[in-house]
Amino acid sequence: MLELLNVNPSSGEPIYRQLHDQIVRLIVGGQLQAEDVLPSVRQMAEFLAVNPMTVSRAVQQLVDQGWIERRRGQPSIVAARNCTDNTSGGSLMQPKVDDLVTQAQQLGVELAELQALIAKKWAAK
Amino acid sequence: MQQNEVPILAFNNVTKVFPLKGNKTTHTALDQLSMQLYPGMVVGLLGQNGAGKSTLMRCALGILTVDSGDIKTLNESPAVLSDTAKSRIGYVPQQPFGYEGFTVDRALDLHRSFYVDWDKQLEQEWLKRFELDVTQSVQKLSVGQRQSLALIMAMAYRPTLLILDEPVASLDPIARRKFMTDLFDLALESGSAVLFSSHITSDLERVASHVALIKKGKLVLFKEIDTLREQVKLLKVSVDSELPQHLDILHQTNTADSMLILADNCQSQEQFNGLISEQSLNLEQLFMELHR
Repeated sequence: MLELLNVNPSSGEPIYRQLHDQIVRLIVGGQLQAEDVLPSVRQMAEFLAVNPMTVSRAVQQLVDQGWIERRRGQPSIVAARNCTDNTSGGSLMQPKVDDLVTQAQQLGVELAELQALIAKKWAAK
Repeated sequence: MQQNEVPILAFNNVTKVFPLKGNKTTHTALDQLSMQLYPGMVVGLLGQNGAGKSTLMRCALGILTVDSGDIKTLNESPAVLSDTAKSRIGYVPQQPFGYEGFTVDRALDLHRSFYVDWDKQLEQEWLKRFELDVTQSVQKLSVGQRQSLALIMAMAYRPTLLILDEPVASLDPIARRKFMTDLFDLALESGSAVLFSSHITSDLERVASHVALIKKGKLVLFKEIDTLREQVKLLKVSVDSELPQHLDILHQTNTADSMLILADNCQSQEQFNGLISEQSLNLEQLFMELHR
């Protein structure tokens, strides 16, 4: 799964948060299934060429939030999705939607026009 | 990074003044600077040319003496470092020198003899990785190769304190990345501390656990890099706005109808009267804003 990860150190967002959000997206999007084995902190750090402390911070957060499970002496795995968990793909889209709406408003694009643009792109895919 | 540990390197109110040639004025290279490096820290030192980065490093090594304040290098005074302490420090200056007239392997033979903890296997690995020809004469190496050799000479004994002055400027991107992984290994596995300066902010963003920003000899910021990204923001505010008390203003630029404020200690989603916009910054942007 390493090749699915990618961070941009020069974005203003902390690297650990970029990594955290990406892994959550992979889980919600189904690319990572329950019990899938995760690469070690060291492997991720080496692959992304970032400080292992940063990776370990992201992993710790994912463990605390119940996304992944740490097992003694064994690699971490993706935790089973709790059925009460309601994190949907849609809620992860929110920041992008916020950006899009802000930009549309700055450019004076009407809601109907924006919706039409989205619909057109959607149909073309 | 437990604060009850003994720091590997500690600056306490350090001031260093250089006399300027020809007239009676002086130049303050370090101005009441305090900073502590603990095991596991990789500290990226950022500052303009002439901000005091190299001076700071030379003072830590005892190459320069300070005018006031004190420094503890491996818990000793840098002016009178013991042999044991010296054998636990690695240093790569901006322009590596020495071993002119030696071939690479003879230079390494001699250098190795000074260090009991030298790891021959590590040395061989790195020679291979940097593709250094050991029969080549040191004088004939390119700038990048010379730098690679200096890195091997400073790191093959896994020093407790590693000080690197612009270490990777002449290395190609692939060599730089691999070198960074080595830095982590050293810092985390051997519990060492690394202090390095670089103008390549994207490298710094990857490798550093902490960033120290120096401006005109003063330490402006010293923070964990993730915290820095979350707490240092560029705020655009109206001229009559009232800034919250907790903000620490690093720099301020006034324009006709608003002010740009570079502030530390921001909370997530600041909200106060007169705030027009808030922007996160990467290191390069932060650096530019600070020197506007």
